[in-house]
Amino acid sequence: MTFTDYLNLLISAVLLAGTYAAVAVGMTVIYGVMKIVNLAHAGFLMLGAYFVYEVHERAGLHPLLGVALAFPAFYLLGMAVHWALGRGIPVSDEPTLASLLLMFGLWLVLQNLGYLVWGTSDRAILTPMTFATLRYGEITIPKIGLVVFVSAVVSLVALEFVLHKTWFGRSVRALIQNRYACRIVGVHVQRTARMTFGLGIAFAGTAGGLLALLFPFSPDFGRPFLLRSFVIIVLGGLESFSGVFLGALILALVETFSILAIPSSYQPAISFSLLVVALIVLPGGVAGILARKRRLA
Amino acid sequence: MSPKTETAPESLALRVLRAGMPLLLLAVLLLLPLGDIGANRTKVLFLTFVWICASVAWNILGGFAGQASFGFAVFYGLGAYTSAVAINGGINPYLTYALAAAVATLASLFIGLPTFRLRGPYFAIATIGVSEAVRVIMTNLGFTGGASGYRITEHVPFRQTEHYYTGLALAALAVAASILIRRSRFGLGLRAIRDDQEAAADSGVNPYASKLAAHAVAAALTGVAGGVYARYAAFISPDGVFAFQRSVSILLMPIIGGVNTIWGPVLGGGVYGVVEEELSARFPEFHLLLYGVLVILIILFEPGGLMGLLGRLRRLILRRRVGAWQPS
Repeated sequence: MTFTDYLNLLISAVLLAGTYAAVAVGMTVIYGVMKIVNLAHAGFLMLGAYFVYEVHERAGLHPLLGVALAFPAFYLLGMAVHWALGRGIPVSDEPTLASLLLMFGLWLVLQNLGYLVWGTSDRAILTPMTFATLRYGEITIPKIGLVVFVSAVVSLVALEFVLHKTWFGRSVRALIQNRYACRIVGVHVQRTARMTFGLGIAFAGTAGGLLALLFPFSPDFGRPFLLRSFVIIVLGGLESFSGVFLGALILALVETFSILAIPSSYQPAISFSLLVVALIVLPGGVAGILARKRRLA
Repeated sequence: MSPKTETAPESLALRVLRAGMPLLLLAVLLLLPLGDIGANRTKVLFLTFVWICASVAWNILGGFAGQASFGFAVFYGLGAYTSAVAINGGINPYLTYALAAAVATLASLFIGLPTFRLRGPYFAIATIGVSEAVRVIMTNLGFTGGASGYRITEHVPFRQTEHYYTGLALAALAVAASILIRRSRFGLGLRAIRDDQEAAADSGVNPYASKLAAHAVAAALTGVAGGVYARYAAFISPDGVFAFQRSVSILLMPIIGGVNTIWGPVLGGGVYGVVEEELSARFPEFHLLLYGVLVILIILFEPGGLMGLLGRLRRLILRRRVGAWQPS
């Protein structure tokens, strides 16, 4: 392999990492504040994909506009879900099995509603962009990948801004650190939790829409991405947002470059093995190791 | 005459009923094939027995010890493939079930040794990863035919009643194991781990070893269930026995029936087995949708599942009867 081949692989890995980060961040937000492992994330990713598909097919809107519309729509949907299941998803200090199973039930419901409404066949969103590439000499960049990457990064930067510059963001970060102290200083825990759940679902819907631009999808669409989100969050250290970028980059690099060593039919096993290894070896994630080093220094 | 002396014999009758009911059920199921119930009904019952075994097995780890696993398809599938390969190799089918149990137990140790260092939901998440990884590997494995599946050829006539009784024995074995564990010191240790792992460790239970043991027992039973199913089906494929859907079913049954009880998983498995056969052929999506709604309702309103619901009903009836005594 030549140098440019490696460079092309690297570029596609970075583009993939941006998308993965957008997929995983919704789960991280919800986990951070409520300590809920949101298995229904996969269902909302799938719904997001079909939302953009329907908006594109029926209303004739540009898919990227559909992705933008998905954000407020799924924010409201997330708040509604939190309202409906409120007594089952309390803000707790450690993840409970009950909330895990509750979210699992929700996933089953969403997935099979998807089958009822859209059937089992694969759909895809095709635009003139889909197969277009940008060429710079030997280097090629898929146009749609770039667009998705940029949208993902924009939404993540917006999230960072909200988390650090608004009162809502401050209360979210405070909740991640200590729930009791939050109550003392007057953070409305339940309301913040509801908004956070909405935010997490909004990111899931948006990310699902972005993924729909890249891959064909069916109602079972979310599952591999659910597992990848776990890998990313675990690698990133469960509660940190900058860790999500790092985790996504590691996963994307491993997945992309493993093609060189391992037959591609075994590829799906890689991320899952990485998940198990990461859970066991790095309970604090890569970011946790860095933090520990800092503390020691 | 005080109400207490009046209700005492009744509670004895209740106790006899409760102890006798499973035996009665067993007797009925033993005699059932003598009456002509038809091949299709026998098949549904056989499959239900297999489901019940897996459901009861899951409950030993997920209910008694509180370690929910999304990866029981691994044991089911490995059991199925072990039996299948061994039967084709000319080994007595009943011996192959022991092999299936052994392979599943080994796998459970292989999975449990690293993952039981994780707690609660992290263990559950890790099992999703393991289960998917095993499925991908089995889909690509050459000597078992990979994704296109594996066929079992036996040079004996197919006798459905033999399968029926094997299934029944399997379910009875699982229930017996579950009762024995529940009543043993080991089972008490598992309950302590479920309630509070630190406190359990302080009072002399080794959580790590106990969880491994519970995992191994559950895996062995599930492996045998897989083997028994494989011999009946005569054809297995990774998309069937190793499917994530299979893990999901094994987890749903005890939750619907009532987790952490003896009879809840049996009830859940029975309901699931029959409903699955009736509904899944006609409305595959609808039937899973139904289970999703059920899980949500159970977690929100009745964590005890169907058993909890029955208990509630019984208390309601008893209270009414006590209420009738009070006015006099």
